[in-house]
Amino acid sequence: MVASLYSVAEEQKAIWIFLEQESGKLESVSLELLAKARQLADRVGWQLTGLLMGNSIAELAQEAIAYGADEIVLAEHPLLADFTVDAYCHVACEAIMCYKPSVFLLGVTPDGRDLAGRLAVRLRTGLNADCSDLRLTPESGILAGEVSGFGGGVLALIEMQNHRPQMATVRPGVFLAGQADFSRKGNVIRLPVNLTEAMINTRIIERVVGARTDLTQAPALVVGGRGVGDKFGMLRELADLIGGDIGATRPPVDEGYIERERQIGQTGVVCRPKVAIVCGASGAFHFVVGIQGADIVIAINSDPQAPIFDFADYCIVGDVFKVVPALIAALRATHEVSYA
Amino acid sequence: MSQTDQLSAEEAIVVDDELWEELITLTNGAASACFQCGVCTAICPWGLVKAETVSVRTLMHQAQLGLPSANDSLWLCTSCAQCEALCPRGVPIVEVVRGLRYLAWQRRNTPRGLPSVLWSVYWNNNPWSQPPSHRTLWARNLDLPTYDAARHEILLYVGCTASYDQRVQRVARSVVRLLNAAGVRFGVLGDDEPCCGEAALNVGHKPYFQEIAQQTARVFRERGVTWLVTISPHCYDVFKNHYSQLNESFTPIHYTQYLAVLVEDGRLQLTRPVELKVTYHDPCYLARHNREVEAPRCVLRAIPGLELVEMKHAASDTLCCGGGGGRMWLETVAGERFSDIRVKEALATDASVLVTACPFCIVCLEDSVKSQKIQALAVMDIAELTAQALAGQA
Amino acid sequence: MPDLQMVVCMKVVPKPEEVRVDPATRLLDRAHARSEINPPDMNALEFALELKDRYGGRVSILSMGPPFFEPYLRVGLATGADHIYLLSDRAFGGADTLATTYTLAQGIQKMGGADLVFCGEESSDGATGQVPSGLAEWLDIGQITLVSDVDIDLARSVARGRREIRGGYEIVEVPLPAVVSVKTASNEPRFMDYRLKPGASDEGRVTVWSKTDLQAAETYLGLPGSPTTVSELTQAPTGERKRELLTGTPQEIAQRLAELLRDLCPNVPETSRKS
Repeated sequence: MVASLYSVAEEQKAIWIFLEQESGKLESVSLELLAKARQLADRVGWQLTGLLMGNSIAELAQEAIAYGADEIVLAEHPLLADFTVDAYCHVACEAIMCYKPSVFLLGVTPDGRDLAGRLAVRLRTGLNADCSDLRLTPESGILAGEVSGFGGGVLALIEMQNHRPQMATVRPGVFLAGQADFSRKGNVIRLPVNLTEAMINTRIIERVVGARTDLTQAPALVVGGRGVGDKFGMLRELADLIGGDIGATRPPVDEGYIERERQIGQTGVVCRPKVAIVCGASGAFHFVVGIQGADIVIAINSDPQAPIFDFADYCIVGDVFKVVPALIAALRATHEVSYA
Repeated sequence: MSQTDQLSAEEAIVVDDELWEELITLTNGAASACFQCGVCTAICPWGLVKAETVSVRTLMHQAQLGLPSANDSLWLCTSCAQCEALCPRGVPIVEVVRGLRYLAWQRRNTPRGLPSVLWSVYWNNNPWSQPPSHRTLWARNLDLPTYDAARHEILLYVGCTASYDQRVQRVARSVVRLLNAAGVRFGVLGDDEPCCGEAALNVGHKPYFQEIAQQTARVFRERGVTWLVTISPHCYDVFKNHYSQLNESFTPIHYTQYLAVLVEDGRLQLTRPVELKVTYHDPCYLARHNREVEAPRCVLRAIPGLELVEMKHAASDTLCCGGGGGRMWLETVAGERFSDIRVKEALATDASVLVTACPFCIVCLEDSVKSQKIQALAVMDIAELTAQALAGQA
Repeated sequence: MPDLQMVVCMKVVPKPEEVRVDPATRLLDRAHARSEINPPDMNALEFALELKDRYGGRVSILSMGPPFFEPYLRVGLATGADHIYLLSDRAFGGADTLATTYTLAQGIQKMGGADLVFCGEESSDGATGQVPSGLAEWLDIGQITLVSDVDIDLARSVARGRREIRGGYEIVEVPLPAVVSVKTASNEPRFMDYRLKPGASDEGRVTVWSKTDLQAAETYLGLPGSPTTVSELTQAPTGERKRELLTGTPQEIAQRLAELLRDLCPNVPETSRKS
């Protein structure tokens, strides 16, 4: 058995979290991890530390403490301004070797995945990837991650007995972020950063944030069929509220209500969003082929016999023009409460 | 000065001898008889929906010269064989189109989406990217017997589209009802039913099609299949005309032909009147490719109370629904769909039901009825209509 | 200029919808499942073949698995890959990502290294998505992950990839050699070329290496070399849709859906939060 760079005997009983930030904001997955880790830390009586890397991001340390961290290890350096796996893996490794935490959690974002994969090998430790739940046993100090495989068909509990840190990654949206409490106090430890240009081989030529064009990348899709007529503005409103995009079956495209690029189906785009809300589409086979990969399908149609209901997880027999506006109102109300 | 004098060296097209020979081999020299009269171009149904007709004549000329086809019209062909029916030289035009398509495959110059269709047949045994283990879900409540050559008269060959497309699954269930009502001892191959390969044939991938045909024919041989009844005319055509060296052990029949025999033999009793005025859309793959226009009509005429009227383009003049030639996997823009015209022809007969006998036709025609918001016409399959004439139906 | 050497890591996986957990033994039953090449690996192979079309060079398929992988991997030869290296040994079995990436790295080193190592972004069985990064670390080379497009600049010896991330995209360059992981469905894999198919069955197209061929450190291999262990395995209810009917007034239904969506879609952009 290959040994990790530090052993169980040398570990510090602490949970560490990679606090990911982008453009001066903490990623929501980091806040979600803080909430879950706070619960775990309270149960076992361990410290919760956030590893925060970047440049000129010191004020985020206070925010992370407000969201549950006891301590922040802060690494600031111009070469950490943009994420590169070269720089972040080097600094993270130094920080972890310095403090030797028992557990290190990261979010499954493109950068989080890159960092976790390289770091786990560098530290010669195990990595529990894409967990849908985490459990920490007080007596043993062992972290168990619940993981699904085979397209979700199989659930496994995975842990590591002899390797540290116990690394695990979690997808955004699995846990719920808590409320910020700015009266919370915590330490901020500045980590000295040893980075030179020569250590960084990744060059970012161009970076454009937020201009979504590709339906296959949308985490959520609101799809309109014949039954919505030309009212795609309403669907766009709904899509924005859930961070998604809009698509259509063939009839609205034929009528010119929406661009052909947004046609979903055998002869259009095949998508695998986390959630698809299908409005006013009967569920013809050609269309279903394009959306059947969605994790969750919600179907709204006034015809109780519509074939789409066979392909949906949640079936609503109703008037799209009543249900969708009600849903938009309900989502707005939820947001007002959360972000008050 | 003539136009040819003005051609520069860059503009002159150079004919590749190797390519020419390859094309001759692929098509058995089918294009050689063409004398460029242009009747094919004139009669091609694309002329009904497009301002600029598809020049079938040019495709034949390219084949004669050994030129790979550079234009999109090669992929518009629905293999309806309307051109073949009228060609004065009997050129097997569809065969030539398939040959030109294979040249495009070799040059990796096919429309987007088609390689995925072939991969789907390869990994999933169906062109619809559906899980192979779901092939018999449509029949989960039907308790269909597994084909046993010793016990069964026929193998019911369901086919990929009837197995997976929800709309067409209803046709499959109607066929099963009819076979049971006639007391036919039949079985199915279930999840082991091999794809017939028509998608590969019609998108022009000849060698892959031949590989599928070998494998499928072997399965039929091993299972002792003798009489094979298909739901789709495409499967029927492929087994009958393109498996010819391999199907010595089995005889394919289209289900409408089998129903006609069952009716004639008195095994299928159609006693409940169905008081409807219907018109029958001949699938290209029955009427033209296989000259079968009578059997479906025999079945319809055997339904008591049914009034059968004919459309403007009937029998071997049938107007293609637009689904053949691989086009079920390619997008046809609104305003260019043959089935839109066909449905209008049906309306003109005053029939309330447009009945057909092909999974692709049903999907295309029903889509046209819906998209043109037609209330007065329903699309049904012969099996569905005939099942209504069985005694004891609600 | 020496030929461009490319390696594509490929895996044969059971069709996800056919895998079962044996309720008695609590072990994975994939014996009855049909197999296929992990779909994202086909996308990875396609990019490698496109670069080969453009710049020439050699595309080798690398896989760690039992002998039955071979006929599946030969499909890759029929699409245009040149050779298969199959790392096959009982000792490799039961490997988690640490042991897997180590073993693959040993294979690449025994091949004499590569300019580009392509991987699919994740596999449909384990779905950890961690092999590309781990492999890059063992090989001590750069990485570009989740590319939807990739090209190389031979003169400057760099790989350039486009990554669709953060609701937008990023163009990243790393020097060669590098690991490139490919986003699922980011291209359309070419179908087999039947002029290449006969040659794909030749014996000489496949090299099988066992642990002794690799001269790998035994402690790093297979189950013994894997820090993580599976303590429990259950079948999850999946595949079939729930088909749960939601009833009530539009407002009641909307309330239920809003709760559901709040859990499913927490990452809502700032701008849309304003009403």
